[in-house]
Amino acid sequence: MNLGTVFGAVFRRELTMIRRYMVNSISSLVSVYLVFILMFMGFQSMSNYVKTGALEGSLEGTIVGFFVWTFTIYAFSDLSWSLISEAQAGTLEQLYLAPCGFKWVGACTVISNFIFSLVPIMVLLFAMMATTGKWLNLDFVSLIPLLLITLLGAYGFGFALGGLALVFKRIQAFFQIMQFVFIGFLIVPTRLAWAKFLPLAVGNDLISTVMVDGARLWELPLNDILTATAVGAAYLAIGIVIFSCCENVAKSRGLLGHY
Amino acid sequence: MLDITRNALAVESLTKTFRDGGRGSVKAVDNVAFQVEQGEVVGLLGPNGAGKTTTIKCILGLMRPDSGHVTVFGEDAQTNYPRILSKMSAVLEGSRNLYWRLTVWENILFFSALHGVASPADKRYFDHLLKLFSLEDKRNVEVRKLSQGMKQKTSVVCALARRAPLVFLDEPTLGLDVETSLELRSVLRELSCEEGRTFVVSSHDMAVIQDVCQRVIIMSEGRIVVDDNVSHLMDLFRTRCYRIVLRGPAPEGLEKRLVHEFVGSSVAEGEQGAEIKVNLSEDEDIYRLMDILRGVDGVIDEISHEEIDMEKVYLEVVRKERSFQ
Repeated sequence: MNLGTVFGAVFRRELTMIRRYMVNSISSLVSVYLVFILMFMGFQSMSNYVKTGALEGSLEGTIVGFFVWTFTIYAFSDLSWSLISEAQAGTLEQLYLAPCGFKWVGACTVISNFIFSLVPIMVLLFAMMATTGKWLNLDFVSLIPLLLITLLGAYGFGFALGGLALVFKRIQAFFQIMQFVFIGFLIVPTRLAWAKFLPLAVGNDLISTVMVDGARLWELPLNDILTATAVGAAYLAIGIVIFSCCENVAKSRGLLGHY
Repeated sequence: MLDITRNALAVESLTKTFRDGGRGSVKAVDNVAFQVEQGEVVGLLGPNGAGKTTTIKCILGLMRPDSGHVTVFGEDAQTNYPRILSKMSAVLEGSRNLYWRLTVWENILFFSALHGVASPADKRYFDHLLKLFSLEDKRNVEVRKLSQGMKQKTSVVCALARRAPLVFLDEPTLGLDVETSLELRSVLRELSCEEGRTFVVSSHDMAVIQDVCQRVIIMSEGRIVVDDNVSHLMDLFRTRCYRIVLRGPAPEGLEKRLVHEFVGSSVAEGEQGAEIKVNLSEDEDIYRLMDILRGVDGVIDEISHEEIDMEKVYLEVVRKERSFQ
């Protein structure tokens, strides 16, 4: 089985879907931007207060936090939402008939969506920078690897939630809760030892260092990069294990095609 | 001993029970075993809840059976999963197998690519399928804009486009009007002759099975109750179902007597005279019938085999199975 053919098919399907749902794609982006406009003052004060103990804070940190949070929401909801909608549409079982295995189809979906999410989120980032007048350092060579490392944990949550969606179907309430939980992960101070083991936390700090302080990837502390990678990979692995367990339950109970 | 060289599919002792949180359990598939030869077109027939879809989903690996063994083209399905899926494709719930926001052609390209089928020659074959199913002019139309029949046909095309040698069609004509159902049946017949692929067709529509399949497996309550060639099964029933027309009206007490002697018999007044329909299950029944008719001075004007169709066969088989239980 040629995985390139499968990836190409999934990539084209996602691209076509984005084009067909263009109004929906744009309106969701606009709504995220509006939330930013409404929240950013309070958010930056809160995040900065927690981190530095002072109310005087940097707007840049808020923008970075919102930027990473948006990526996180896109990443974690990708697989779980598409599982729910595929089950609703009745195409999920057809995807499970792929000889390469559903996990590869899921992985191709996640990678395609990451690529497609780059454009709208960058547009959002520019809109936020233009609105606030704070222009951040956009060193993509440093940013892309850090984003991927940071988002590993979010993808782990996506797999876990996707697995739960296979069994319990209506789990939309979890999405609302997780959006707030992720804000918590992003603003928790990493000077606390235990906070380093939370998803997103260390990665967000590293991204902030690149975007706000202008540091390059190779100038960042290696320990922090390794910690962020290991923590992200661990959450991803746990997510995949939960997904596999739920998949087994769904197959045993005959729930794959149900919604 | 299984003949794995000729078998496209061999199912042994397949059992699946659904448990309802400790409140009870339903045996959806009960020790089912059958084989399908390469190039054969087999029908799975049965009432709702007979276990047809569960059997198909267990074979495809979409459900996990409690026990049993599935072999596809000589390879163990479980140990070779999911690679074995390259040899199988399926239409599972008709029009719900498609992306409604994609066009017919985009759906075909997507689902065939999942099976690694994407060469220029394959695309020529997709064109051939579109023509065969009269969907050429709908090629670039989004599926959501198609009629139910066209959606259903597109689902079948997507399953065929994967070019798998073993194809499962679960209720392919469900919800279709008579004309589209006839068209689909005719295309399936043509394809099975042309391509020599193996088809397993499950349907409530007895006419589909009678029209398309060489062999039928009738399921009831999760078990196989009949596994026979369609023509043989029809012959078996045809020879036992008689239509007799009497000269003049039915003699008094005839119907009561016939119903008592032969279950399911009926007497109606026709234009020419009384019309009797009777099922004879034993060889000597014909002599008993003649004795009864002679006893009431009935004069036989016409005697013929009753026209039998799959529906009658099916209803009779299921009725017998239920009375046996």
